Order: sequence, then C-alpha cells, then structure tokens
Amino acid sequence: MRELLLVRYGEIFLKGLNRPFFMRALVKNVRESVKDMGADVWLHDGRIFVAGFEDLEACMARVTKVFGVHSVCPAIEMEKEDFEAVAKQAVSMMAGLRGTFKVSARRSDKRYPMDSPAINEELGGRILDACPDLRVDIHHPDHALNVEIRDMCYLYVRVVPAVGGMPVGTNGKAALLLSGGIDSPVAGWMIAKRGVKICAVHFHSYPYTSDRAKEKVLELARLLSESCCGIRVYIVPFTHIQMEIHTKCPDDYGTLIMRRYMMRIAERCAKLEKAQALITGESIGQVASQTMEALGVTDSVVSMPVFRPVIGFDKAEIMETARRIGTLETSELPYEDCCTVFTPRHPATHPRLDRAVEGESPLDMDALIEEAMQGIEIVEV
Amino acid sequence: MEIYLDNSATTKPCEAAIVAAEDAMRVHWHNPSALYKPAMEAEKLLNQARETCLRAVQATGNRLVFTGSGTEADNLAILGHLKGIRKPGRVLISQVEHPAVAACAQEIERMGHRVESIAVDSRGVIDLGKLEAQMDGNVRMLCVMQVNNETGAVMPLREIAALRDRICPDAALHVDGVQGFLRVPLRFNGSGIQSYAFSGHKIHALKGVAGLIVRRDVRLSPIQFGGGQEDGWRSGTENMPGILALGAAVEAFPADGAARMSEMKQRLWDGLRAAIPSAELNGPEPGSPESAPHILNVSLQPVRSQTMLFALEGEGVYVSAGSACASHKQKVSAALTAMGCSTRRADCALRFSLCPDITPEMIDQTVETVKRQYGLLSAYVRR
Repeated sequence: MRELLLVRYGEIFLKGLNRPFFMRALVKNVRESVKDMGADVWLHDGRIFVAGFEDLEACMARVTKVFGVHSVCPAIEMEKEDFEAVAKQAVSMMAGLRGTFKVSARRSDKRYPMDSPAINEELGGRILDACPDLRVDIHHPDHALNVEIRDMCYLYVRVVPAVGGMPVGTNGKAALLLSGGIDSPVAGWMIAKRGVKICAVHFHSYPYTSDRAKEKVLELARLLSESCCGIRVYIVPFTHIQMEIHTKCPDDYGTLIMRRYMMRIAERCAKLEKAQALITGESIGQVASQTMEALGVTDSVVSMPVFRPVIGFDKAEIMETARRIGTLETSELPYEDCCTVFTPRHPATHPRLDRAVEGESPLDMDALIEEAMQGIEIVEV
Repeated sequence: MEIYLDNSATTKPCEAAIVAAEDAMRVHWHNPSALYKPAMEAEKLLNQARETCLRAVQATGNRLVFTGSGTEADNLAILGHLKGIRKPGRVLISQVEHPAVAACAQEIERMGHRVESIAVDSRGVIDLGKLEAQMDGNVRMLCVMQVNNETGAVMPLREIAALRDRICPDAALHVDGVQGFLRVPLRFNGSGIQSYAFSGHKIHALKGVAGLIVRRDVRLSPIQFGGGQEDGWRSGTENMPGILALGAAVEAFPADGAARMSEMKQRLWDGLRAAIPSAELNGPEPGSPESAPHILNVSLQPVRSQTMLFALEGEGVYVSAGSACASHKQKVSAALTAMGCSTRRADCALRFSLCPDITPEMIDQTVETVKRQYGLLSAYVRR
C-alpha cells in the first residue's frame, strides 16, 4: 500500500488521433515540475501517476500548477485481491467526515469477482456502520469515495482542482515582453496556459533602473516558470536607445518610439528562439501608448502576430488574475521600470504612423538595435 | 576602490568587535545566569561591556538594558514608560523621528494618550519657539532624537530639557541616540534625559544588539516577558557575542573619530558644491554645532536620487537615497517634507554618511565620480 497522486487531465481528452503527443508533453512537464522532490511520474492505463514524494501537499501544489492538469487526487494504491483490507481502508478514509456520501466504484478489470454496484453497496454499508455522522446521498453527496479497480485498487476522496489549459510546448513558442509591472506576467501566463512555450524579453535601463528591478523581473519569470516549465529571459540593455530617443525625437512621440524599438528587439529575440509570436500585457486605453492608434503604430514595426490576452481587461481584473496566479505581490514592489523613466508629460494619445516614422528618422536604427542585441544577457529561470 | 558612504544604514564590524564576538562563541559561551565558574566569567564580561557603554556617554551609575535592536530599545523606553502612567495626557514626538519611535504613535493612542508632533525648522532642527508654545502641564512624554538619520541635524537636547523642567517637570524625555552615540558628545548624567537608546551596528559592532540607558531612579514596565534577565527589564538569554562585540567596538571607537569625520564631511560638501554649483544642502551647514559630523544630505536636481545611486554603485561608491530603512517604500522622505523641501528636491536627495576610516582620497574620488555622473545624467531627465 502506498500514497500517490492521481493526475487527471482536461482538454487533452478532447483530442483525437494526436492525443498521445499531448499526453507525452504533459507527462514530461509534470515530471519536470517535481523533479527536485525525487518523485516518480509515469503514465499507465490512460492515467498519470506521481509517487515517491515526501511531502504530499508540496508535491500536489506543484502538480496543480502544471498547465494541462485538470485536477489532482491524493490516492491510496493497494492490492485489490484482499477485499477486507480494501474495505478497512475505505472506512478509515471516511472516518471523521460528516454529512452525506456515496461510493463510486469503477471496475476496468472485468475479471474482478465483484462488479461496480456490488462494490458500492458493500463498501457503502460498511462505512454507514462505522461512521454514524454520515448518510447516503447518491445524487449530491458532500463526499464521494472513489474506488477504481485496475491492475491495482485505487481509493480517493479529495479532488483538488488544478489550473487546466494545455501542456506547455504543444502549441508553439512566443516571446513575452516582461516589464516588471502587473500586466505582462498575467499576459504571459494566459498564453502559456494555451500550451505555448514562452521566453521573456526584458529591457534594462541602468542606471535609471536598478539591479533590484532586474531581480524583480527574474523573480516574476521564476514565478511564471512554475507553470511554464522554465523560461529563458533575455535582458536587453536599453539605456542608450532611450537616451538617443530622448535627445533626438519629438517629446510627445518618445514613449511610442521607445515601444517601437522594444517590439523590434523583441522580434529579433523571438527569431533567435524560433518563436512565432510576441506577447504583451497591453490593455486598450490603459495608458497613452495603449490607445488603439498607438497600438497600431507599435504593431507596424513587426511582422509576427502580437498577442495581447489582457486587451479587454480592466486594471482590477488584471490585478485579480495576478493575485490568483501569485505574481501580484512581486509586481507591486516599487522599483522603477524602464517604461516610466523618460515618460513625457504630454504623450500623443492619437499618434499617426507617418509622424512616428518621421520622428524616429534621426536615429541610426540598425546600429542601435545591433548594439542592444550584442549586449544581451541571457538568464534561465 | 570601493567607497562605502552609507554608514548610517549600517557599519562594517571592526576587528575588535569580531575578535570579541568570536571569543564569546568559542570561550565565553556559557549562560551568564548560570551558577558555575565559566558562567560567572561570562557574566563578568557582560557587566564590563555594560560599564564601557555607560562610560562612553557619561552615564555611569545608571541602568543599561541590552536589547536586540535600536527599535526595541525605543519601544521599551516609550511604551514601558507610558504603561505605568494611568492619567491620559499628551505625548510630543518630533516630526522627523525614525520609524522606531514614530510608529509607536498608534500604540500610544491606544493607551489613551494623544500624540502630537514637534515641528522642525528648514534645517531640520527642532523649533524651540514652537515647542515652547506647544508645551503645558499635560505633557507626559517628549521623544526627540539626538541626531536625525537623514539630515544629520543635531537636536538641542539641553534646551528641550530646560523647557521641560520649567513647563512640565513630570514629563519624561526619551532620546533616540542611534545616530548620535559616540559621534556627537553626550553627558547623560545631569542632562535631564530619562532614557537613551543606541545601537551596535551603527558603531562598527554587530547587528542584533543595542541598548537602552535609563536614569537610575526610573522604573519602566517591561514589554517582553520570560526568564527575568536584565533584572526583569528584558527577558531572554543575553546575546553574549553581540554584547561583548558592542563593548569592544565602543572601546575601539577612535577618540578623534568625530573630528576626523567632521573634516571629511566639510571636504565632501566643499567638493560637491564646487563641482555642482546647483547642489542644495538639506540640513544644517557643515561645521555648525547643529550639524552631526557624519551625515551629509544633498539634492542634486534634476537627477533623481535613485538614478544617481545606481550610477554611483556602478563605480563602487555606495550611498543612499534619503534613509535606507525607508527607501524600499519609494515614499518621499518625511523628514525632508517636514523641513519644507519640495517633492522634487526631496526626490533628488542623496545621503552620504561617513565613518572614521574615510580618507581624503576617498572623498575626492567620490566628488569626482558624482561630478562625472551628474554631467552624464543631468542631460537625460524627464522634461
């Protein structure tokens, strides 16, 4: 007899002939998530199992964060031949519970001497006898004891909901512009949840932004990486470009031109990573550079699709998601990020593409971008 | 060369402190409250360290309670005093106190007293005229720091004690001496101060040890309970490595330390002023009696302090923006605001804090570095 985790998956279930591809990716990601806990992960009979951990709750916390996992059940695995032992275990798992219950048996081993209704009846009876605080309700029970008879017998009561989504790595790769604010980690998380592997691009403006600001971004990436199976972070030195923009470009277009440079560099990084899209945390109208016209002007410098999953969210909704996924507290640390350092007092809110192009014409774009690319620091988290 | 000019945040432990702490761990590790001989030896050393600290501020004959931090010492002095006072009254706290004192306000009000602040002038020094007008017989306690941690302003403690004696002789005067201890002379006996807090890690001893000196005829209520150590004033087994290191650091602090720092501070201010004529001094004029020898606060508009701090860090010069204790919070300094500094000026304030080991070469190099970075950065600021 041993304790293990039964991992249930969600959307993959809908897949057809390519389901094994998704399953392999999910097993790999679950395995990766608990690797340092010494746990074993295997696929058997259409189920993913995790065993060999020391701290069940800690292990479960990791597995419930893996995209593609629908729920996790801490289960007892035991020999099925000794029905008395199974019954004893069933009673001990229900002891102390109050309210209503049912037993829900499934028998995939059809040679097992008892069929499912018989198991339900027998175990239900014994539990009723042993637990005076429990009554039977087979339609809406407070507690359901699940019994699965496979090559072994599995019993579980708790079903812990997990994050859902698709296994990371099954839907391509994209580069996330990660600022250190509240929105971009949420955006990255939402796209990764659809099975997209992400890498991150961060713009660092030393000495206008500090090493602490950089550490904060790496911490955000680390928090995301728990669900995203590791993230490669490109840290791009951005001070020179910002200074050039500040001195040579019209003030009201400064932020927009800066955003255009960020997009260009992010696309270069994405290509190095063989990624097919960019992700940003922009939301319509949140700030001047995120009006519809401004988004059009920034988009026009890249050819890749740009995903903006929080585009229709308001700030409160984004913050709520950030809280739920655990990035809010870190995002709210007060270190200045590169976007706010040179913010003009009166940025253009209805910019025109021709003006932006003209405004940035005094800059030696190729040389500036090349210089930034040469100075990139790569950190794996 | 690395130049550390953030000694008001913390100091590097001196050799004597390290040796004493190691000795306390290797040899005198016994519990000083135990009855056998090695324990008695430890107790003897503990009391020697106590005497050394008392002597340093001419407080011999009074009580010294060792605590775990300056904050704890301040809390014990304030809350421990007010706990024993039944009749609600007024508690006056200077506008520029460190959070270790200022943050007690809520707790004090919960005890039924009213907390009011004492105004400072444009140099950050307590305005005695305003204080006098504010005082009456209902004042139960005054809390004033010896030296302000952000501006280096030295507070007129003697005059404040005299006002207290005249207007509200029963009111206690607590002095947070964390930034002043050893660097600004103090004669505790006869000063009219009831309690005086200081901290080890600001004078080249270790973190995690501090002290509260309390006038011999005063009894405070403890705020921490347990085994009754420190005569029941502060329960908890004594931090021997910390305390012995503190005693050693006090003895090792150079007699001419304050004079040396004062000279270096003047050199720094002269250098900065010459290099950047628009530099603004936040605090009393260096060299004046109200100016502590080791803290210089300067605004270099339009370069924001954070930006300059990181630029200097890149060249191995460590300073702080306002007060390091509060700079995680990205709030405009309360002390500078109280002095009437504009938000913009406060946002560009840098604090240089010295120790006796700072040499003229270090000061000159710092000035040179600030000058160069200012030239680079002042051209690129938010318009």
